[in-house]
Amino acid sequence: MTVNQCDRLLDYFNNQLTEEQKAEFEAHLSECEDCRNELAELEQLTEDLPYSSEAVDPPSGMKERILSNVIEETVDEVSYEESNVSVSDVQNEPFKKRKGWYKPLVAAVLTLSLVGNGAAVIYVTNNEQATEPAPEPEEDASLDTLETVRTLQPSEGVDARATAMMIGQNNKTNLVVQAAGLSELEGEETYQVWVLEDEQPYRAGTFVPNEDGDGGVSYVMNYEGDHNFDTIAITKEPDANSQTPQGEILLSSSL
Amino acid sequence: MREQDAELFYRIQSKDEDALEQLYDRYEKLLFSFSYRMTNNKFLAEEAVQDVFTKIWSKQRHFDEEKGKFSSWLLTVTRHACIDLLRKKKEPTYELEERDSLHTQEPTPEETVEWQERGEEVRKAVKQLTEEQQEMIELFYFKSMSQTNISKTCNIPLGTVKGRVRLALKHLKEILASKQERGVQDDG
Repeated sequence: MTVNQCDRLLDYFNNQLTEEQKAEFEAHLSECEDCRNELAELEQLTEDLPYSSEAVDPPSGMKERILSNVIEETVDEVSYEESNVSVSDVQNEPFKKRKGWYKPLVAAVLTLSLVGNGAAVIYVTNNEQATEPAPEPEEDASLDTLETVRTLQPSEGVDARATAMMIGQNNKTNLVVQAAGLSELEGEETYQVWVLEDEQPYRAGTFVPNEDGDGGVSYVMNYEGDHNFDTIAITKEPDANSQTPQGEILLSSSL
Repeated sequence: MREQDAELFYRIQSKDEDALEQLYDRYEKLLFSFSYRMTNNKFLAEEAVQDVFTKIWSKQRHFDEEKGKFSSWLLTVTRHACIDLLRKKKEPTYELEERDSLHTQEPTPEETVEWQERGEEVRKAVKQLTEEQQEMIELFYFKSMSQTNISKTCNIPLGTVKGRVRLALKHLKEILASKQERGVQDDG
């Protein structure tokens, strides 16, 4: 049975054809003047319709997100899922750039449901965590749970942003922090994540952003005793070994 | 003098960030509002706008001046981005609610004033159509339904869908054209 290509005009206009059908129709279009005319007519008849949309204010920060994503997109197109790394590969290495500011969160949340199938979230241990091996993905099929999500607020004069997520995993909590818009580091400087309890800071991951100012770290929170952390903060430190913050708080949020 | 859209477009394709920002500012609100109209979801709408500019920046879309106005072309690209996203949307979207509560009231660029006036005219004209015609436009253009789906939804024979869509659109165009002819004296 042959398909009458002319019948596909509307679906072509509405982007409803499969790639194959679309190619077929486009080939047809180059030969069928009627369809070309009808398509042009449809385009002309519908050109006013988008303007009838009620004006909606874009979400705040959309411009910055989109422009930076558009420009960075062409540099590096690594997706979240592809950036899975194992503990032996990486120490303190920043995450790869991802598209979309909120997408990583989406991806991370979706990843939760995949962990049981062996697709693990990123494990990056910190120096003092080196003796604590990250669980093998296939070893345990328990479900991860998203415990906390926070958007960190930049301190005055800081033009960066970050989010933190706490993910419960095998009775431990994984703190996943990702940041963007961070200024470049010099020498041995690093960015340090801290969690605080009554102003007492605990190290919670170290990272170095890439040249675009994007970086992140996943940290297994494993502190002695019971804790009730009230704040999360990011500072710039002279090197990766600060036991207490030396630098100003750049980004922070209550927990 | 204000730079033409097409000139900005060519500068963007040669990776000019200033041109990207200028074009973005010019169209942000229209594209976002239109995408929101198409997707009814602010996150998808933002993603659609990002896809549009990404495609321009990475030269996946080409504008041909001979084929019509830049703005029409840009809106078509936007509409297709929305349709693609809606198709992929099967997976749940994760929304950070606080983002929605933070609106910044930016000064309204002249483009926004222009399209809102035009939009008001189009909305009025749409209301003059019969209900069936309004529905045809809604399902076909804004819901971008396939012919088969329109036929099922409206319970009309597949073969008549195209004719009805066309009739509704033509009628709308005539109403708009007659308004423009009558011109200024009617506006007061």
